[in-house]
Amino acid sequence: MPVSAEYVARETASNLWRNRLMTIAAVLTVAVSLSLVGAALLLKQGATRAEAEWQRGTEVMVWMKPTASTNEIGAVGKQLGALPYVVHPCTFRNHMYDFFEAKRLVGSVWGEAGVTPKETPTSWRCTPVHPQDATAVIREFGGQPGVLVVSAPLTQIRTEQHVIEILQWVFLLVALVLLVSAAVLILNTIRMAIFARRREVSVMKLVGATNWFIRLPFMSEGLVQGLLGSGVAAAVVYGLHVILDRLGSSTSGSVLAQMRMTGWEVFVTDVIVVVIGVLIGTGGSAIAISRFLDV
Amino acid sequence: MIRFKNVTKTYKNGTVALRDVSIEIEKQEFVFLVGASGSGKTTLIRLLLREELPDSGRIWEAGRDIVHLPKWRVPYLRRNIGCVFQDFRLLPNKTVFENVAFALEVIGRPKHVVANQVPQVLELVGLAKKRDNLPSELSGGEQQRVAVARAFVNRPLILLADEPTGNLDPSTSQGIMQLLDRINRTGTTVVVATHDEVLVNWMRRRVIELDHGSVVRDQARGVYGIEGAPAATLGPAAAVSPAATLNPAATLNPAATLNPAAAVTAAGAPSGRVPAVAGARRARGQERG
Ligand SMILES: Nc1ncnc2c1ncn2[C@@H]1O[C@H](COP(=O)(O)OP(=O)(O)OP(=O)(O)O)[C@@H](O)[C@H]1O
Ligand SMILES: [Mg+2]
Repeated sequence: MPVSAEYVARETASNLWRNRLMTIAAVLTVAVSLSLVGAALLLKQGATRAEAEWQRGTEVMVWMKPTASTNEIGAVGKQLGALPYVVHPCTFRNHMYDFFEAKRLVGSVWGEAGVTPKETPTSWRCTPVHPQDATAVIREFGGQPGVLVVSAPLTQIRTEQHVIEILQWVFLLVALVLLVSAAVLILNTIRMAIFARRREVSVMKLVGATNWFIRLPFMSEGLVQGLLGSGVAAAVVYGLHVILDRLGSSTSGSVLAQMRMTGWEVFVTDVIVVVIGVLIGTGGSAIAISRFLDV
Repeated sequence: MIRFKNVTKTYKNGTVALRDVSIEIEKQEFVFLVGASGSGKTTLIRLLLREELPDSGRIWEAGRDIVHLPKWRVPYLRRNIGCVFQDFRLLPNKTVFENVAFALEVIGRPKHVVANQVPQVLELVGLAKKRDNLPSELSGGEQQRVAVARAFVNRPLILLADEPTGNLDPSTSQGIMQLLDRINRTGTTVVVATHDEVLVNWMRRRVIELDHGSVVRDQARGVYGIEGAPAATLGPAAAVSPAATLNPAATLNPAATLNPAAAVTAAGAPSGRVPAVAGARRARGQERG
Protein backbone atom coordinates (compact mmCIF):
# COMPACT_ATOMS: atom_id res chain seq x y z
CA MET A 1 0.00 0.00 0.00
CA PRO A 2 1.46 3.36 -0.93
CA VAL A 3 1.90 5.70 2.02
CA SER A 4 1.16 9.20 0.90
CA ALA A 5 4.24 11.37 1.21
CA GLU A 6 2.03 14.34 1.85
CA TYR A 7 0.42 12.57 4.80
CA VAL A 8 3.78 11.69 6.34
CA ALA A 9 5.11 15.22 5.82
CA ARG A 10 2.01 16.78 7.37
CA GLU A 11 1.99 14.49 10.40
CA THR A 12 5.73 14.84 10.92
CA ALA A 13 5.54 18.62 10.80
CA SER A 14 2.69 18.72 13.28
CA ASN A 15 4.49 16.33 15.63
CA LEU A 16 7.66 18.40 15.50
CA TRP A 17 5.74 21.58 16.11
CA ARG A 18 3.75 20.16 19.00
CA ASN A 19 6.99 19.05 20.64
CA ARG A 20 9.05 22.03 19.54
CA LEU A 21 11.00 22.58 22.76
CA MET A 22 12.04 18.96 22.96
CA THR A 23 12.76 19.02 19.26
CA ILE A 24 15.07 22.00 19.63
CA ALA A 25 16.88 20.33 22.52
CA ALA A 26 17.32 17.13 20.56
CA VAL A 27 18.49 18.92 17.43
CA LEU A 28 21.00 21.00 19.37
CA THR A 29 22.41 17.99 21.17
CA VAL A 30 22.75 16.15 17.88
CA ALA A 31 24.43 19.22 16.40
CA VAL A 32 26.94 19.62 19.23
CA SER A 33 27.81 15.95 19.45
CA LEU A 34 28.19 15.56 15.72
CA SER A 35 30.29 18.73 15.52
CA LEU A 36 32.65 17.08 17.96
CA VAL A 37 32.62 13.87 15.95
CA GLY A 38 33.36 15.88 12.84
CA ALA A 39 36.16 17.78 14.56
CA ALA A 40 37.67 14.52 15.76
CA LEU A 41 37.48 13.12 12.24
CA LEU A 42 39.12 16.26 10.85
CA LEU A 43 41.91 15.97 13.41
CA LYS A 44 42.40 12.35 12.56
CA GLN A 45 42.64 13.09 8.85
CA GLY A 46 44.88 16.07 9.48
CA ALA A 47 47.14 14.02 11.69
CA THR A 48 47.40 11.30 9.07
CA ARG A 49 48.26 13.87 6.48
CA ALA A 50 50.83 15.62 8.67
CA GLU A 51 52.38 12.30 9.57
CA ALA A 52 52.85 11.42 5.92
CA GLU A 53 54.40 14.80 5.43
CA TRP A 54 56.77 14.28 8.36
CA GLN A 55 57.71 10.79 7.30
CA ARG A 56 58.77 12.09 3.95
CA GLY A 57 60.85 14.73 5.66
CA THR A 58 62.25 12.74 8.55
CA GLU A 59 65.90 12.95 7.76
CA VAL A 60 68.43 11.95 10.34
CA MET A 61 71.32 14.30 10.30
CA VAL A 62 74.71 13.23 11.61
CA TRP A 63 76.55 16.48 12.13
CA MET A 64 80.29 16.17 11.92
CA LYS A 65 82.54 18.50 13.86
CA PRO A 66 83.79 21.25 11.60
CA THR A 67 87.21 19.96 12.47
CA ALA A 68 86.48 16.32 11.70
CA SER A 69 89.06 14.65 9.54
CA THR A 70 88.33 13.17 6.16
CA ASN A 71 88.98 9.75 7.66
CA GLU A 72 86.42 10.27 10.36
CA ILE A 73 83.88 11.52 7.84
CA GLY A 74 84.60 8.56 5.59
CA ALA A 75 84.26 6.07 8.47
CA VAL A 76 80.87 7.42 9.48
CA GLY A 77 79.74 7.37 5.84
CA LYS A 78 80.86 3.76 5.49
CA GLN A 79 79.00 2.72 8.63
CA LEU A 80 75.88 4.52 7.54
CA GLY A 81 76.09 2.80 4.17
CA ALA A 82 76.04 -0.57 5.92
CA LEU A 83 72.89 0.15 7.96
CA PRO A 84 69.96 -2.05 6.86
CA TYR A 85 67.24 0.34 8.03
CA VAL A 86 68.10 3.47 6.09
CA VAL A 87 67.40 4.34 2.51
CA HIS A 88 70.63 4.23 0.55
CA PRO A 89 72.58 6.11 -0.44
CA CYS A 90 73.05 8.64 2.33
CA THR A 91 74.18 12.02 1.16
CA PHE A 92 77.07 14.08 2.41
CA ARG A 93 76.71 17.84 2.69
CA ASN A 94 79.89 19.91 2.71
CA HIS A 95 80.69 23.12 4.58
CA MET A 96 79.37 25.40 1.88
CA TYR A 97 76.05 23.58 1.51
CA ASP A 98 75.37 23.59 5.22
CA PHE A 99 76.50 27.19 5.51
CA PHE A 100 74.01 28.38 2.90
CA GLU A 101 71.25 26.13 4.25
CA ALA A 102 71.78 27.55 7.72
CA LYS A 103 71.78 31.03 6.27
CA ARG A 104 68.53 30.28 4.45
CA LEU A 105 66.88 28.83 7.55
CA VAL A 106 68.03 31.26 10.21
CA GLY A 107 68.74 34.22 7.98
CA SER A 108 71.89 36.18 7.46
CA VAL A 109 72.63 36.20 11.22
CA TRP A 110 74.47 32.96 10.59
CA GLY A 111 77.11 34.78 8.57
CA GLU A 112 76.90 38.03 10.47
CA ALA A 113 77.49 36.19 13.75
CA GLY A 114 80.93 35.55 12.37
CA VAL A 115 80.39 31.90 11.54
CA THR A 116 82.31 31.21 8.39
CA PRO A 117 81.61 28.32 6.04
CA LYS A 118 84.74 26.67 7.39
CA GLU A 119 83.28 26.73 10.90
CA THR A 120 79.96 25.32 9.79
CA PRO A 121 79.70 21.59 10.46
CA THR A 122 79.39 19.19 7.58
CA SER A 123 76.71 16.53 7.71
CA TRP A 124 75.61 13.10 6.60
CA ARG A 125 71.89 12.87 5.86
CA CYS A 126 69.93 9.63 5.79
CA THR A 127 66.26 8.82 5.58
CA PRO A 128 65.31 5.86 7.77
CA VAL A 129 62.93 3.33 6.21
CA HIS A 130 60.65 3.87 9.21
CA PRO A 131 60.75 7.20 11.02
CA GLN A 132 61.05 5.45 14.37
CA ASP A 133 64.37 3.94 13.27
CA ALA A 134 65.85 7.41 13.56
CA THR A 135 66.41 6.72 17.27
CA ALA A 136 68.66 3.80 16.40
CA VAL A 137 70.80 6.07 14.25
CA ILE A 138 70.96 8.59 17.07
CA ARG A 139 72.08 5.89 19.52
CA GLU A 140 74.64 4.36 17.22
CA PHE A 141 76.40 7.51 16.09
CA GLY A 142 76.03 9.65 19.18
CA GLY A 143 79.58 9.29 20.55
CA GLN A 144 81.51 8.44 17.38
CA PRO A 145 84.80 10.20 16.79
CA GLY A 146 84.33 13.34 14.76
CA VAL A 147 80.56 13.41 15.31
CA LEU A 148 79.20 16.63 16.73
CA VAL A 149 75.61 15.66 17.28
CA VAL A 150 72.96 13.46 15.69
CA SER A 151 69.59 15.09 15.26
CA ALA A 152 66.17 14.09 14.03
CA PRO A 153 62.97 16.15 14.29
CA LEU A 154 61.56 13.11 16.02
CA THR A 155 60.91 14.27 19.55
CA GLN A 156 58.89 17.18 18.27
CA ILE A 157 56.90 14.89 16.03
CA ARG A 158 56.24 12.58 18.95
CA THR A 159 54.75 15.28 21.16
CA GLU A 160 52.67 16.72 18.40
CA GLN A 161 51.37 13.33 17.43
CA HIS A 162 50.67 12.58 21.01
CA VAL A 163 48.71 15.77 21.61
CA ILE A 164 46.67 15.26 18.49
CA GLU A 165 45.96 11.67 19.44
CA ILE A 166 44.80 12.60 22.93
CA LEU A 167 42.69 15.44 21.58
CA GLN A 168 41.15 13.06 19.12
CA TRP A 169 40.19 10.55 21.81
CA VAL A 170 38.83 13.22 24.12
CA PHE A 171 36.69 14.57 21.28
CA LEU A 172 35.46 11.12 20.38
CA LEU A 173 34.67 10.23 23.98
CA VAL A 174 32.76 13.44 24.65
CA ALA A 175 31.05 13.04 21.29
CA LEU A 176 30.05 9.50 22.16
CA VAL A 177 28.48 10.57 25.43
CA LEU A 178 26.68 13.40 23.67
CA LEU A 179 25.57 11.11 20.88
CA VAL A 180 24.01 8.75 23.38
CA SER A 181 22.21 11.63 25.06
CA ALA A 182 21.10 12.91 21.65
CA ALA A 183 19.64 9.50 20.87
CA VAL A 184 17.89 9.43 24.24
CA LEU A 185 16.49 12.91 23.64
CA ILE A 186 15.17 11.91 20.25
CA LEU A 187 13.75 8.75 21.76
CA ASN A 188 11.99 10.87 24.33
CA THR A 189 10.50 13.30 21.83
CA ILE A 190 9.16 10.39 19.82
CA ARG A 191 7.77 8.85 22.97
CA MET A 192 5.97 12.08 23.74
CA ALA A 193 4.68 12.28 20.19
CA ILE A 194 3.36 8.74 20.48
CA PHE A 195 1.71 9.60 23.75
CA ALA A 196 0.16 12.77 22.35
CA ARG A 197 -1.22 10.80 19.45
CA ARG A 198 -2.38 7.67 21.23
CA ARG A 199 -6.03 8.30 20.33
CA GLU A 200 -5.20 8.67 16.67
CA VAL A 201 -3.06 5.57 16.84
CA SER A 202 -5.81 3.51 18.41
CA VAL A 203 -8.29 4.68 15.77
CA MET A 204 -5.79 3.94 13.04
CA LYS A 205 -5.33 0.43 14.33
CA LEU A 206 -9.06 -0.01 14.55
CA VAL A 207 -9.78 1.00 10.99
CA GLY A 208 -6.96 -1.10 9.60
CA ALA A 209 -4.01 1.21 8.99
CA THR A 210 -0.90 -0.87 8.41
CA ASN A 211 1.89 -0.88 10.95
CA TRP A 212 4.14 0.98 8.56
CA PHE A 213 1.57 3.65 8.01
CA ILE A 214 1.29 4.18 11.75
CA ARG A 215 5.03 4.12 12.31
CA LEU A 216 6.23 6.21 9.42
CA PRO A 217 5.39 9.69 10.77
CA PHE A 218 7.23 8.87 13.99
CA MET A 219 10.20 7.42 12.13
CA SER A 220 10.41 10.47 9.93
CA GLU A 221 10.17 12.72 12.96
CA GLY A 222 13.34 11.14 14.35
CA LEU A 223 14.93 11.25 10.94
CA VAL A 224 14.22 14.96 10.55
CA GLN A 225 15.70 15.70 13.98
CA GLY A 226 18.82 13.72 13.09
CA LEU A 227 19.08 15.47 9.74
CA LEU A 228 18.62 18.96 11.17
CA GLY A 229 21.19 18.32 13.88
CA SER A 230 23.72 16.80 11.54
CA GLY A 231 23.13 19.57 9.01
CA VAL A 232 24.14 22.13 11.60
CA ALA A 233 27.11 19.96 12.57
CA ALA A 234 28.18 19.63 8.94
CA ALA A 235 28.15 23.42 8.63
CA VAL A 236 30.22 23.73 11.81
CA VAL A 237 32.74 21.20 10.49
CA TYR A 238 33.01 23.10 7.25
CA GLY A 239 33.46 26.36 9.11
CA LEU A 240 36.17 24.79 11.25
CA HIS A 241 37.92 23.62 8.13
CA VAL A 242 37.82 27.08 6.60
CA ILE A 243 39.24 28.67 9.74
CA LEU A 244 42.02 26.08 10.15
CA ASP A 245 42.83 26.36 6.48
CA ARG A 246 43.21 30.14 6.75
CA LEU A 247 45.47 29.77 9.78
CA GLY A 248 47.42 27.06 8.00
CA SER A 249 48.02 29.10 4.88
CA SER A 250 49.18 32.12 6.85
CA THR A 251 51.69 30.13 8.92
CA SER A 252 53.58 27.98 6.45
CA GLY A 253 55.73 25.30 7.98
CA SER A 254 53.51 24.98 11.06
CA VAL A 255 51.61 21.88 12.07
CA LEU A 256 48.40 23.48 10.84
CA ALA A 257 49.93 23.99 7.45
CA GLN A 258 50.95 20.37 7.31
CA MET A 259 47.45 19.34 8.35
CA ARG A 260 45.72 21.27 5.57
CA MET A 261 43.08 19.20 3.88
CA THR A 262 41.39 19.13 0.52
CA GLY A 263 37.75 20.04 0.11
CA TRP A 264 37.06 16.43 -0.77
CA GLU A 265 38.24 15.22 2.63
CA VAL A 266 36.01 17.75 4.36
CA PHE A 267 33.10 16.68 2.19
CA VAL A 268 33.63 13.05 3.17
CA THR A 269 33.73 14.09 6.84
CA ASP A 270 30.45 15.95 6.42
CA VAL A 271 28.88 12.94 4.73
CA ILE A 272 29.95 10.76 7.65
CA VAL A 273 28.51 13.30 10.10
CA VAL A 274 25.17 13.35 8.29
CA VAL A 275 25.04 9.56 8.06
CA ILE A 276 25.65 9.28 11.82
CA GLY A 277 22.92 11.89 12.41
CA VAL A 278 20.46 9.92 10.29
CA LEU A 279 21.37 6.70 12.10
CA ILE A 280 20.89 8.31 15.50
CA GLY A 281 17.57 9.84 14.50
CA THR A 282 16.10 6.69 13.03
CA GLY A 283 17.70 4.53 15.73
CA GLY A 284 16.25 6.62 18.54
CA SER A 285 12.81 6.68 17.01
CA ALA A 286 12.93 2.97 16.16
CA ILE A 287 13.59 2.16 19.81
CA ALA A 288 10.81 4.49 20.95
CA ILE A 289 8.42 2.95 18.46
CA SER A 290 9.21 -0.61 19.42
CA ARG A 291 8.92 0.19 23.10
CA PHE A 292 6.00 2.59 23.25
CA LEU A 293 3.97 2.14 20.10
CA ASP A 294 1.95 -1.00 20.47
CA VAL A 295 1.11 -1.96 16.90
CA MET B 1 -19.63 -14.60 7.76
CA ILE B 2 -18.63 -15.25 11.37
CA ARG B 3 -18.03 -18.64 12.86
CA PHE B 4 -16.77 -19.61 16.29
CA LYS B 5 -15.93 -23.24 16.88
CA ASN B 6 -15.30 -24.39 20.46
CA VAL B 7 -13.60 -21.15 21.35
CA THR B 8 -12.19 -20.74 24.84
CA LYS B 9 -10.48 -17.57 25.97
CA THR B 10 -8.61 -17.23 29.24
CA TYR B 11 -7.00 -13.94 30.20
CA LYS B 12 -3.50 -13.84 31.62
CA ASN B 13 -4.80 -13.45 35.15
CA GLY B 14 -6.67 -16.72 34.82
CA THR B 15 -10.17 -15.33 34.17
CA VAL B 16 -12.00 -17.58 31.77
CA ALA B 17 -13.90 -15.06 29.67
CA LEU B 18 -15.28 -17.45 27.04
CA ARG B 19 -15.89 -21.17 27.46
CA ASP B 20 -16.26 -23.51 24.53
CA VAL B 21 -18.27 -21.01 22.47
CA SER B 22 -19.62 -22.13 19.10
CA ILE B 23 -21.59 -19.63 17.06
CA GLU B 24 -22.41 -19.20 13.42
CA ILE B 25 -23.55 -15.89 12.00
CA GLU B 26 -24.60 -15.63 8.38
CA LYS B 27 -24.05 -12.84 5.95
CA GLN B 28 -26.47 -9.92 6.42
CA GLU B 29 -27.62 -11.11 9.82
CA PHE B 30 -28.31 -8.70 12.66
CA VAL B 31 -27.34 -10.26 15.97
CA PHE B 32 -27.65 -9.06 19.54
CA LEU B 33 -25.13 -10.29 22.03
CA VAL B 34 -26.57 -10.06 25.51
CA GLY B 35 -25.59 -11.15 28.96
CA ALA B 36 -24.77 -9.82 32.36
CA SER B 37 -21.71 -7.71 33.00
CA GLY B 38 -18.60 -9.82 32.75
CA SER B 39 -20.29 -12.52 30.71
CA GLY B 40 -17.78 -12.14 27.87
CA LYS B 41 -19.45 -9.93 25.26
CA THR B 42 -16.57 -7.53 24.89
CA THR B 43 -14.13 -10.40 24.84
CA LEU B 44 -16.00 -11.92 21.92
CA ILE B 45 -15.80 -8.64 20.02
CA ARG B 46 -12.12 -8.30 20.80
CA LEU B 47 -11.55 -11.74 19.37
CA LEU B 48 -13.37 -10.68 16.21
CA LEU B 49 -11.12 -7.63 15.94
CA ARG B 50 -8.16 -9.87 16.64
CA GLU B 51 -7.14 -7.74 19.52
CA GLU B 52 -6.98 -11.01 21.40
CA LEU B 53 -6.35 -14.61 20.42
CA PRO B 54 -8.28 -17.58 21.83
CA ASP B 55 -6.53 -20.33 23.80
CA SER B 56 -8.30 -22.97 21.81
CA GLY B 57 -10.93 -23.29 19.14
CA ARG B 58 -11.15 -21.66 15.75
CA ILE B 59 -12.67 -18.48 14.42
CA TRP B 60 -13.54 -17.70 10.83
CA GLU B 61 -14.51 -14.23 9.77
CA ALA B 62 -15.19 -12.85 6.30
CA GLY B 63 -13.96 -16.15 4.88
CA ARG B 64 -10.69 -16.16 6.77
CA ASP B 65 -9.34 -18.24 9.61
CA ILE B 66 -8.46 -15.27 11.79
CA VAL B 67 -6.73 -17.24 14.52
CA HIS B 68 -3.98 -18.25 12.18
CA LEU B 69 -3.91 -15.01 10.26
CA PRO B 70 -0.35 -13.66 10.13
CA LYS B 71 0.10 -10.48 12.12
CA TRP B 72 0.81 -8.29 9.11
CA ARG B 73 -2.56 -9.22 7.59
CA VAL B 74 -4.55 -8.10 10.62
CA PRO B 75 -4.93 -4.49 9.33
CA TYR B 76 -6.40 -5.85 6.10
CA LEU B 77 -8.84 -7.96 8.10
CA ARG B 78 -9.90 -4.89 10.06
CA ARG B 79 -10.66 -2.99 6.87
CA ASN B 80 -13.53 -5.41 6.43
CA ILE B 81 -14.82 -4.76 9.91
CA GLY B 82 -16.32 -1.58 11.27
CA CYS B 83 -16.48 -1.08 14.99
CA VAL B 84 -18.37 1.25 17.34
CA PHE B 85 -17.92 1.60 21.09
CA GLN B 86 -19.77 2.97 24.02
CA ASP B 87 -17.30 5.87 24.35
CA PHE B 88 -17.41 6.87 20.64
CA ARG B 89 -13.62 7.21 20.37
CA LEU B 90 -13.69 10.28 18.16
CA LEU B 91 -10.67 12.52 17.71
CA PRO B 92 -11.51 15.71 19.62
CA ASN B 93 -9.43 18.06 17.49
CA LYS B 94 -10.89 16.93 14.19
CA THR B 95 -14.21 17.95 12.72
CA VAL B 96 -17.00 15.49 11.96
CA PHE B 97 -15.88 15.35 8.36
CA GLU B 98 -12.22 14.91 9.28
CA ASN B 99 -13.00 12.19 11.79
CA VAL B 100 -14.77 10.15 9.16
CA ALA B 101 -12.25 10.99 6.45
CA PHE B 102 -9.42 9.91 8.76
CA ALA B 103 -10.61 6.31 8.57
CA LEU B 104 -10.18 6.38 4.79
CA GLU B 105 -6.99 8.42 4.71
CA VAL B 106 -5.05 6.14 7.02
CA ILE B 107 -5.78 3.12 4.89
CA GLY B 108 -4.41 5.01 1.91
CA ARG B 109 -7.63 5.75 0.05
CA PRO B 110 -7.11 8.43 -2.58
CA LYS B 111 -8.46 11.93 -2.08
CA HIS B 112 -11.30 11.69 -4.56
CA VAL B 113 -12.62 8.58 -2.82
CA VAL B 114 -12.57 10.43 0.51
CA ALA B 115 -14.27 13.46 -1.02
CA ASN B 116 -16.93 11.21 -2.45
CA GLN B 117 -17.57 8.70 0.34
CA VAL B 118 -17.56 10.90 3.40
CA PRO B 119 -20.45 13.20 2.44
CA GLN B 120 -22.45 10.15 1.41
CA VAL B 121 -22.06 8.42 4.73
CA LEU B 122 -22.65 11.65 6.65
CA GLU B 123 -25.90 11.97 4.74
CA LEU B 124 -26.76 8.39 5.72
CA VAL B 125 -26.27 9.08 9.43
CA GLY B 126 -28.05 12.42 9.18
CA LEU B 127 -25.13 14.67 10.00
CA ALA B 128 -24.50 16.31 6.66
CA LYS B 129 -25.22 19.71 8.20
CA LYS B 130 -22.78 19.22 11.07
CA ARG B 131 -19.81 18.18 9.00
CA ASP B 132 -17.66 21.08 10.18
CA ASN B 133 -18.47 20.80 13.87
CA LEU B 134 -16.08 19.42 16.42
CA PRO B 135 -17.19 16.41 18.49
CA SER B 136 -17.41 18.64 21.56
CA GLU B 137 -20.10 20.62 19.79
CA LEU B 138 -22.30 17.55 19.28
CA SER B 139 -24.72 15.67 21.50
CA GLY B 140 -23.87 12.14 22.59
CA GLY B 141 -26.21 10.66 20.03
CA GLU B 142 -24.68 12.75 17.27
CA GLN B 143 -21.21 11.75 18.33
CA GLN B 144 -22.18 8.12 18.16
CA ARG B 145 -23.56 8.72 14.68
CA VAL B 146 -20.19 10.09 13.67
CA ALA B 147 -18.60 6.96 15.09
CA VAL B 148 -21.01 4.81 13.11
CA ALA B 149 -20.25 6.83 9.99
CA ARG B 150 -16.55 6.29 10.54
CA ALA B 151 -17.06 2.57 11.05
CA PHE B 152 -19.19 2.29 7.94
CA VAL B 153 -17.46 4.68 5.53
CA ASN B 154 -15.23 1.95 4.14
CA ARG B 155 -18.30 -0.26 3.53
CA PRO B 156 -17.20 -3.10 5.79
CA LEU B 157 -18.67 -6.57 5.51
CA ILE B 158 -19.21 -6.66 9.25
CA LEU B 159 -20.13 -3.97 11.73
CA LEU B 160 -19.42 -4.68 15.40
CA ALA B 161 -20.88 -2.51 18.14
CA ASP B 162 -19.97 -2.86 21.81
CA GLU B 163 -22.71 -1.25 23.87
CA PRO B 164 -23.19 1.52 21.32
CA THR B 165 -26.05 2.98 23.33
CA GLY B 166 -24.50 2.57 26.75
CA ASN B 167 -23.99 6.30 27.20
CA LEU B 168 -27.19 7.45 25.51
CA ASP B 169 -30.71 8.10 26.67
CA PRO B 170 -33.41 5.72 25.44
CA SER B 171 -34.80 7.77 22.56
CA THR B 172 -31.34 8.58 21.25
CA SER B 173 -30.49 4.90 21.59
CA GLN B 174 -33.40 4.03 19.38
CA GLY B 175 -32.11 6.37 16.74
CA ILE B 176 -28.71 4.64 16.80
CA MET B 177 -30.37 1.21 16.57
CA GLN B 178 -32.37 2.41 13.60
CA LEU B 179 -29.19 3.52 11.99
CA LEU B 180 -27.54 0.15 12.61
CA ASP B 181 -30.64 -1.48 11.19
CA ARG B 182 -30.42 0.66 8.08
CA ILE B 183 -26.78 -0.30 7.68
CA ASN B 184 -27.73 -3.93 8.11
CA ARG B 185 -30.18 -3.53 5.22
CA THR B 186 -27.35 -2.53 2.93
CA GLY B 187 -26.04 -6.08 3.36
CA THR B 188 -23.65 -5.54 6.24
CA THR B 189 -23.59 -8.14 8.98
CA VAL B 190 -24.19 -6.39 12.30
CA VAL B 191 -23.30 -7.69 15.76
CA VAL B 192 -24.36 -5.58 18.72
CA ALA B 193 -23.30 -6.33 22.28
CA THR B 194 -25.74 -4.67 24.62
CA HIS B 195 -27.33 -4.55 28.03
CA ASP B 196 -30.31 -2.71 26.66
CA GLU B 197 -33.08 -5.29 26.88
CA VAL B 198 -35.69 -2.79 25.77
CA LEU B 199 -33.96 -2.20 22.49
CA VAL B 200 -33.40 -5.90 21.99
CA ASN B 201 -37.05 -6.57 22.53
CA TRP B 202 -38.03 -3.80 20.24
CA MET B 203 -35.78 -4.80 17.36
CA ARG B 204 -36.74 -8.49 17.25
CA ARG B 205 -33.52 -9.82 15.88
CA ARG B 206 -31.46 -12.84 16.63
CA VAL B 207 -30.28 -12.88 20.25
CA ILE B 208 -27.25 -14.75 21.58
CA GLU B 209 -26.96 -14.75 25.34
CA LEU B 210 -23.73 -15.34 27.17
CA ASP B 211 -23.48 -16.29 30.80
CA HIS B 212 -20.10 -16.61 32.46
CA GLY B 213 -18.52 -17.10 29.08
CA SER B 214 -20.87 -19.76 27.75
CA VAL B 215 -23.64 -19.41 25.19
CA VAL B 216 -26.83 -20.13 27.11
CA ARG B 217 -29.33 -19.03 24.50
CA ASP B 218 -29.33 -18.48 20.77
CA GLN B 219 -32.69 -17.35 19.52
CA ALA B 220 -33.54 -16.50 15.95
CA ARG B 221 -35.85 -13.50 15.50
CA GLY B 222 -35.10 -12.98 19.12
CA VAL B 223 -37.85 -11.89 21.32
CA TYR B 224 -37.64 -11.97 25.02
CA GLY B 225 -40.95 -13.84 24.85
CA ILE B 226 -42.09 -16.97 23.10
CA GLU B 227 -42.93 -16.55 19.45
CA GLY B 228 -46.41 -15.22 19.94
CA ALA B 229 -48.60 -13.62 17.34
CA PRO B 230 -48.35 -10.13 18.89
CA ALA B 231 -44.71 -10.02 17.99
CA ALA B 232 -45.73 -9.44 14.40
CA THR B 233 -46.79 -5.91 15.26
CA LEU B 234 -43.14 -5.08 15.90
CA GLY B 235 -41.65 -6.47 12.74
CA PRO B 236 -39.04 -4.82 10.54
CA ALA B 237 -41.50 -2.02 9.93
CA ALA B 238 -41.24 -1.13 13.56
CA ALA B 239 -37.52 -0.95 13.30
CA VAL B 240 -37.78 1.56 10.53
CA SER B 241 -40.14 3.82 12.36
CA PRO B 242 -40.10 2.80 15.96
CA ALA B 243 -41.24 6.07 17.39
CA ALA B 244 -44.60 5.57 15.77
CA THR B 245 -45.22 2.12 17.17
CA LEU B 246 -43.72 2.64 20.58
CA ASN B 247 -45.68 4.15 23.36
CA PRO B 248 -43.89 7.48 24.00
CA ALA B 249 -43.88 6.71 27.68
CA ALA B 250 -41.92 3.60 26.96
CA THR B 251 -38.99 5.68 25.93
CA LEU B 252 -38.87 7.32 29.29
CA ASN B 253 -39.48 4.35 31.49
CA PRO B 254 -39.54 1.45 29.12
CA ALA B 255 -39.30 -1.43 31.55
CA ALA B 256 -42.50 -0.51 33.28
CA THR B 257 -44.70 0.55 30.42
CA LEU B 258 -43.44 -1.24 27.34
CA ASN B 259 -46.02 -2.66 25.01
CA PRO B 260 -46.69 -6.04 26.61
CA ALA B 261 -46.61 -7.79 23.27
CA ALA B 262 -42.96 -6.97 22.93
CA ALA B 263 -42.01 -8.22 26.33
CA VAL B 264 -43.36 -11.67 26.78
CA THR B 265 -40.93 -13.63 28.88
CA ALA B 266 -39.34 -16.54 27.12
CA ALA B 267 -38.96 -19.86 28.83
CA GLY B 268 -35.17 -19.60 28.91
CA ALA B 269 -34.99 -15.89 29.42
CA PRO B 270 -32.94 -14.66 32.33
CA SER B 271 -34.92 -13.32 35.16
CA GLY B 272 -34.05 -11.36 38.21
CA ARG B 273 -30.95 -9.80 36.75
CA VAL B 274 -32.58 -6.51 36.00
CA PRO B 275 -35.14 -6.14 38.74
CA ALA B 276 -37.27 -3.48 37.11
CA VAL B 277 -37.67 -5.44 33.91
CA ALA B 278 -38.25 -8.69 35.72
CA GLY B 279 -40.88 -7.01 37.81
CA ALA B 280 -42.59 -5.67 34.76
CA ARG B 281 -42.50 -9.10 33.21
CA ARG B 282 -44.02 -10.71 36.21
CA ALA B 283 -46.80 -8.21 36.18
CA ARG B 284 -47.41 -8.83 32.54
CA GLY B 285 -47.32 -12.56 33.03
CA GLN B 286 -50.18 -12.22 35.45
CA GLU B 287 -52.00 -10.02 33.04
CA ARG B 288 -51.70 -12.59 30.26
CA GLY B 289 -52.22 -15.62 32.44
N1 LIG C 1 -7.85 -7.59 29.84
C1 LIG C 1 -8.41 -8.42 30.73
N2 LIG C 1 -7.62 -9.07 31.59
C2 LIG C 1 -8.15 -9.92 32.49
N3 LIG C 1 -9.45 -10.19 32.60
C3 LIG C 1 -10.29 -9.57 31.78
C4 LIG C 1 -9.81 -8.64 30.80
N4 LIG C 1 -10.86 -8.18 30.11
C5 LIG C 1 -11.94 -8.77 30.64
N5 LIG C 1 -11.62 -9.61 31.63
C6 LIG C 1 -12.52 -10.46 32.41
O1 LIG C 1 -13.14 -11.33 31.50
C7 LIG C 1 -14.50 -11.48 31.81
C8 LIG C 1 -15.35 -11.08 30.62
O2 LIG C 1 -15.18 -9.70 30.40
P1 LIG C 1 -15.90 -8.92 29.24
O3 LIG C 1 -15.34 -7.55 29.21
O4 LIG C 1 -15.80 -9.70 28.00
O5 LIG C 1 -17.39 -8.89 29.73
P2 LIG C 1 -18.64 -8.09 29.13
O6 LIG C 1 -19.69 -9.07 28.87
O7 LIG C 1 -18.23 -7.23 28.02
O8 LIG C 1 -19.02 -7.19 30.37
P3 LIG C 1 -19.73 -5.76 30.36
O9 LIG C 1 -21.16 -6.00 30.01
O10 LIG C 1 -19.58 -5.26 31.76
O11 LIG C 1 -19.02 -4.92 29.37
C9 LIG C 1 -14.76 -10.64 33.04
O12 LIG C 1 -14.70 -11.49 34.15
C10 LIG C 1 -13.62 -9.67 33.06
O13 LIG C 1 -13.29 -9.36 34.37
MG1 LIG D 1 -18.13 -5.14 27.69
